[in-house]
Amino acid sequence: MSSILQDFEDGQRHGSGPRLALALTPVDTPQDPDRLKSFYSFSNSAQISASLRYYLCQTCGLKIPKQELNAWIDILSAYWKAVGEILQFNEFPSRASWVRVFDNWKEVANLLIRAYSNSGFENWTIPCLYVVGKYLRIFASKADAETSSQGSVAYLQDDASTDFGKDAKTEEAARVLNRMFTLCLNDRAPIDESRKWGVYYMTNLLFKTYFKINAVGLSKNLLRALSAQSKELPDLEDFPKSHIVTFKYFVGVIYFLDESYSEAEEHLAYAWRFCHKNAMKNKELILTYLVPCHLVTTHTLPSKKLLSHAPRLEALFRSLCDCIRKGDLHGFDAAMTAGEEEFVKRRIYLPLERGRDIALRNLFRKVFIAGGFEEAKDGQPPIRRTRIPVAEFVAALRIGTHADARTRIDIDEVECLLSNLIYKGLMKGYIARERGMIVLSKGGTAFPGTGV
Amino acid sequence: MSSGIPPWRASASTTTTTPVYPNYTTPAYIPVQARRSLTSPASNSTTPVSPQPTTATTDSNSRKPKRVEWPAPVRMYVQRSFAPEHQIPGVSREEMETKLKLVITEAAQSDRLDKIDWEKLPLPQIMVQNDKTRILANSEASTWGTPFPTQTPKHIPAGDEVTKKRKSAEYQTDSNGYPPWRQTNKTNAFEDRITYSPTDKRQRIDFKNSSSKSQANLEMRKKRFEEGRGMYGSSPSSRGASPTPAPTGPVVGRCQDLEKNYFRLTSAPNPDTVRPLPVLMKTLDLLKKKWKKDNNYTYICDQFKSLRQDLTVQHIKNEFTVSVYEIHARIALEKGDLGEYNQCQTQLRALYAQQLGGHPTEFKAYRVLYFIHTRNWTAMNDALADLTPADKQNHAVKHALDVRSALALGNYHRFFQLYLDTPNMGAYLMDMFVDRERLSALAAICKAYKPDVKIRFITEELGFESDEQSARFILDHISEEMLQERDGVVRLLTGGKAAQLFELSKTEAHRVVDIKGQI
Repeated sequence: MSSILQDFEDGQRHGSGPRLALALTPVDTPQDPDRLKSFYSFSNSAQISASLRYYLCQTCGLKIPKQELNAWIDILSAYWKAVGEILQFNEFPSRASWVRVFDNWKEVANLLIRAYSNSGFENWTIPCLYVVGKYLRIFASKADAETSSQGSVAYLQDDASTDFGKDAKTEEAARVLNRMFTLCLNDRAPIDESRKWGVYYMTNLLFKTYFKINAVGLSKNLLRALSAQSKELPDLEDFPKSHIVTFKYFVGVIYFLDESYSEAEEHLAYAWRFCHKNAMKNKELILTYLVPCHLVTTHTLPSKKLLSHAPRLEALFRSLCDCIRKGDLHGFDAAMTAGEEEFVKRRIYLPLERGRDIALRNLFRKVFIAGGFEEAKDGQPPIRRTRIPVAEFVAALRIGTHADARTRIDIDEVECLLSNLIYKGLMKGYIARERGMIVLSKGGTAFPGTGV
Repeated sequence: MSSGIPPWRASASTTTTTPVYPNYTTPAYIPVQARRSLTSPASNSTTPVSPQPTTATTDSNSRKPKRVEWPAPVRMYVQRSFAPEHQIPGVSREEMETKLKLVITEAAQSDRLDKIDWEKLPLPQIMVQNDKTRILANSEASTWGTPFPTQTPKHIPAGDEVTKKRKSAEYQTDSNGYPPWRQTNKTNAFEDRITYSPTDKRQRIDFKNSSSKSQANLEMRKKRFEEGRGMYGSSPSSRGASPTPAPTGPVVGRCQDLEKNYFRLTSAPNPDTVRPLPVLMKTLDLLKKKWKKDNNYTYICDQFKSLRQDLTVQHIKNEFTVSVYEIHARIALEKGDLGEYNQCQTQLRALYAQQLGGHPTEFKAYRVLYFIHTRNWTAMNDALADLTPADKQNHAVKHALDVRSALALGNYHRFFQLYLDTPNMGAYLMDMFVDRERLSALAAICKAYKPDVKIRFITEELGFESDEQSARFILDHISEEMLQERDGVVRLLTGGKAAQLFELSKTEAHRVVDIKGQI
């Protein structure tokens, strides 16, 4: 007998949601490479629901309330059809189509949603919703990729806005997922039996979908809906960690994109702390945003050790970080230009750019250190020279930007850079313009947090 | 129940003794009168206007209280309309019934019920067919595949009820609900613009999913409203349902007037009021001249909107379209009308993607500046991603990028140098946020410089035209005693107090800019 039906039977018998969800997972497994095929050959399209009914009631003798049983038979029949479409990819690849897989799978999703709202599916079955939602999104992006690879020039010429339409199936999926989200969020059953426990999983799926179709703004609607319900929702800590870590990651990124870096850092740091230690890919994703966040909020750079497990990030950030540390403005600009495409794609260009301030601070700090000490007065510990001519900073900038002899460096611009560092609290002191001097604060606070 | 049973319903039930339409599925419309009545059973309200298979006689109507007696010729007319031998393939029942309803209602309202020669009046299905033929002959798309003659201004008896229903329908579109970004673009913007050939059954198929006729109609209306707003992308289904060739397709205008006021379409465009391309070209020349001469923005904006609308409804997308949008965008910029500018910018982005010519780099530069102004960083990131390496070599684009980077790093010195040397019309955009950035700069200056700075320095650093102008700007935000004259030079006393005040003003000015119509 097909392992899919076996999973279903076991799931029902033992009330195991994950087992039940396994039945609805439309993939072959290494242990069972013909998993889908054996399910598909279980019956034919004319008899599938009758066969299912016979099998579940007679063969297995499952005792499921009638309404619920009917709903399951509908779902499994739709599932069977969708599996048929998937199998086409093995049998007749030329006739296979992800769009059709998606359409059939959407039917499964719709039936499942209906079953929750009408046929009294209990909340232990909620992993089914997860797996159906998950594959809905996957099939949608495959369908959209398929559509765009088949060339859709015909309609692109038709209307001005070319952006629309290319994600049609993903948008359709977003709609269905949104219904699943509401289904979870608005369940009024007592919390033990509530679908509310699924709400973060569904939120995460929707986040993913919205990010995919460049509709990040819509994510905020979900956050609003969640916060409106926050009183009725259990504590975040009580949800499965995997749901929460993903959720926090996305919320962090949403703040990040709004340039609210301190909020972003808070959420990303949470995700970072609770992320499974072996989930390397997820950790890498979190760091992609957490590192730029840190650069902006605390002006700190990632250590070699932190990035040692993420070679991709190491490559992405290392040269930039080295230049910042050394105060090498020329190198910094070059690294920004070199990585620009990648940075823009990951949406981290704008915060990374702010690293230039830190590079500049480090360069100017060198001026201060090179300035040496004032003559010590009767036995007092020596004090660094705190009055520095602007000209010295100009010279430093010349070196830092690899300016050649003919490049004119504008003193006013250097003053502007200095005033910015002072304004942002990276330097302490003031500019005495009339005298062309910078007066830095004494007592090791001229460059706060750097020891001098 | 003052109005009584409508004749098309009453007589319909009198006529048929045999079920003529066994495969009848969708109720054609909902006779609302029944719903209003307390005496009639609720189920009546949804009874379709269909010949009942039950044998009914004329006096079955007498059960209803206070009926209006429809004259016999009218009843005969209705009977004939429903008679199977008079059906015309290609004219759906819904269409026929709607027409019938309309004809009789109009007659009743204008009290012409007994003046019309019902014997000779063409049957509604013939009217519908004639309408269609006429439309095709004119290559007009005015019915847009809706069986309702949408432009008819006449009152439909159930009008108010329809409005009510429309509201509720909008709230209960749950399962068929569309996400906000598609709300108005239900299936296919292109498809609405197609007039189907009379034999085409697609329109009916479309309605199968809708629960009722009125809801289907509502969808049509939604889609039509969407038209007026301009061009949205069509969904891929337009490829599947490729339009039948020949007379179908966009509107072709016949209007020869050069000027036309903008009117946001609430129904299908009428070719008589749409100007074809050659006329539009003349219009553009005229508008350019008028703009130079009169500089009347209200007029010119209105004219450009109608010009754009005519282009949209006729699906004209070429270099001329680009130049219309470009010119309108520039004029809107000049007048600081950012809402209108942004509409043009959005369209231009799509038009440039189709390589139709124009000045893409100029407008890509504006786009960057515009997002600086609106402080929309997510969109900024997209705008950056849009730029090709070649774009970045362009002077205007480079300038805009430098402006962005100068601001990101707080380099006001560089920013104001760039401000004084802005290519094209970017200065109009920069003007919008230059004061905001002046406040940021002053906040920094007041914190960094001590004990004072000369006003001359401020004028030069912050791109003011004169010391007076900068003094006036400063005084708008801080109190007088912080500006002092010493040794014949006016100085700004920097430090805590001034820094604090500028910081406040800066925060105020940097609140998120919200512009209507922003992407």
